[in-house]
Amino acid sequence: MTGMERRAFMQGAGLGALAFMVNGAEIMLTPRQAQAQAVPLRTLTAGQAATLDAVGETLVPGAKEAGITNFVDQQISVPPEEALLQARILNVRPPFANFYRAALGAIDGASTKTKGHKFAELSPAEQHDFINLMRQNKIEGWQGPPEPFVYTVLRGDAVDVVYATVEGYDMLGIPYMPHVPPIKKW
Amino acid sequence: MAHEKVDAVVVGSGASGSVFAAVLAKAGKKVVVLDNGPGWRRTDLISSDIWGRRLKPAGGPIVLGGKHPFAYANQAAYAVGGAALHYFAQFPRYLPTDFKMKSEHNRGRDWPISYEDVAPFYDKVADDIGVSGDAKAEEKWRPPGKPYPMPPMKIFPAGQVWLKGAEANGIKLVPMANGMNSVPYKDRVACIYDGWCHVGCPIGALANPIVTYLGEAYKAHAQVRSLCNVTRVLTNPEGTRAIGVEYYGPGKEREVQEASVVVLAAWSAQNPRILLNSATDKHPKGLANKNDLVGKFMMTHHIAGTWAIFDKDITPHMGTVGAQFMSYDRYAKTSYPNAFGSSFIAVGTSHKTNDYAQSRGDLFGPELAAYMKRAARGLTHLTIFGEDLPNAENRVELISDKDEYGLPMARLIHSFDDDAVALWNANFEQGLKIAKATDAKESWPGKGPVIPTAHLHGGAIMGKDSSDSVTNSYGQTHEIPNLWMAGPCIFPTEGASNPTYTIFAVALRGAEHLAEHWGSVAG
Repeated sequence: MTGMERRAFMQGAGLGALAFMVNGAEIMLTPRQAQAQAVPLRTLTAGQAATLDAVGETLVPGAKEAGITNFVDQQISVPPEEALLQARILNVRPPFANFYRAALGAIDGASTKTKGHKFAELSPAEQHDFINLMRQNKIEGWQGPPEPFVYTVLRGDAVDVVYATVEGYDMLGIPYMPHVPPIKKW
Repeated sequence: MAHEKVDAVVVGSGASGSVFAAVLAKAGKKVVVLDNGPGWRRTDLISSDIWGRRLKPAGGPIVLGGKHPFAYANQAAYAVGGAALHYFAQFPRYLPTDFKMKSEHNRGRDWPISYEDVAPFYDKVADDIGVSGDAKAEEKWRPPGKPYPMPPMKIFPAGQVWLKGAEANGIKLVPMANGMNSVPYKDRVACIYDGWCHVGCPIGALANPIVTYLGEAYKAHAQVRSLCNVTRVLTNPEGTRAIGVEYYGPGKEREVQEASVVVLAAWSAQNPRILLNSATDKHPKGLANKNDLVGKFMMTHHIAGTWAIFDKDITPHMGTVGAQFMSYDRYAKTSYPNAFGSSFIAVGTSHKTNDYAQSRGDLFGPELAAYMKRAARGLTHLTIFGEDLPNAENRVELISDKDEYGLPMARLIHSFDDDAVALWNANFEQGLKIAKATDAKESWPGKGPVIPTAHLHGGAIMGKDSSDSVTNSYGQTHEIPNLWMAGPCIFPTEGASNPTYTIFAVALRGAEHLAEHWGSVAG
């Protein structure tokens, strides 16, 4: 089989899906589908989810609809050796849920302290300014993992759900060209 | 649980472990290979930056320390096949100067062997597993050796665009030597240039262990056990011989594999950890550690990366993750006036969407979205690896934290010295000069507060005797003759070029020596 034939063979193969728990049953959904269907979260609280949605959307437009919160929630609910988060390759020490709890808590804590509201309740302009300061390690009274590291990890998650998928490649006008497409359980 | 005694137990199945397993099994020895990772099949190697992370450690027994911590998870593995299952397969050779740093510069250390001792094994490895390249084009620097068995890989625009800038700076770029098939080789297909090499090549075009030496080991009846965490090397009551290893398998039960010879090929930080954790009353400081040299002289390459973006479609996503071009024109250890150490230039790797985002880590929101579209058409990268000198303060040491089996974890402490930082900075200046002399619309250094690192060496270095080293040039420990070390842990200096070709070659030299002298080693 030539390279072109192999690529053609792969076209139309399914997009990767995660195993989400719905009413006690495991179903395969993409994070985008899980978000659209409001699949219940397993580890993150509603407040943490609202923060992550808002931070993700500020970092990478489209991240909320692409399911960043369902993605992260599912990934921190499985054993660390099964997790595929950026945190894994950025040397975060498992359990990864601890990092996300600390990071999201630090964001809301600093937002409340400096702006009087949690991050999700800020205006888009305020959210942008907050993230810009966080990126540069310039938020007053920050208590949590280092600000630039939180920025890097959460930005990476948002990039994953928006751009590291077949839809993301389509959006950028480049072919995905998988040898083995992501069709299995994550 | 105790298993039937075998001739050799090899701990780790990456580049070096797979070589030892293949050579010994083909010599008729009964071989068991233990690896802490899963035994991924080729069809498990999913083309995805997200899925590719499955091949890397999640936490694990090494924590990081020092001013410039090593990029652990990205460089290690959670897989049968080791880090060579997700490596870039760039196959430059070390040069003769790398073996003689002390003699030539009164810095660092000499190897107890020369380039000429390793050269025949570079050639053998190339024949065994296939290397693509253009030896004629490399003549300016290339030491003696056979031509590559395959022509160079295809060239794509993301590599070609650097030629003009390099030439303007007096730097000759030649096709990279890659451990990939530019044409069908033996029973393996040719590369199709889809740029997913770094998450594992499922078609077998890239020479990873599972399609090369480990495959040979299987055919010669070596047994490979996955998800087996080796905790200690066991020794006889006198402390004079290794008698096997203790490990925990998938059932998390303690198991013992007795063997006549033990080969530690786990990883440069994990090998010393195992030696230190194997302390007994006869070896109170750990095995092969009479002179406190185990875990010392950890070295890693620093990376000076330059990004450039062009106003035309240069298909960044196409090609191979192994670079298209390389140069040794800054390899001389005194290339820059205020720095010391070799530098190796590699340009034109394929990039995927995560790379586009990482190339401008400062951007977010709508600015990032707009940039991603430009990057998808015009982004490319130049990498300059720089050498780190051996320093005993860069080390692996046990800590009080325990792993799930109750054994001390280890801290890998690493800081670059002033020379290395100066070399890193000089390489950024060089990279930017090259980029500015191309037709790039914009170029910038990939420089942040953290010094990026790649490749880990040292921890059980080779030398003449136990006063200055842990092993001899074959990897045999000075103190316990049937305990062998394999991989870059035995390198006394690290050069600047990608090490895996040298890892294969040095391991092949050691494994063949062991097979030839089996009787005197195994007892």
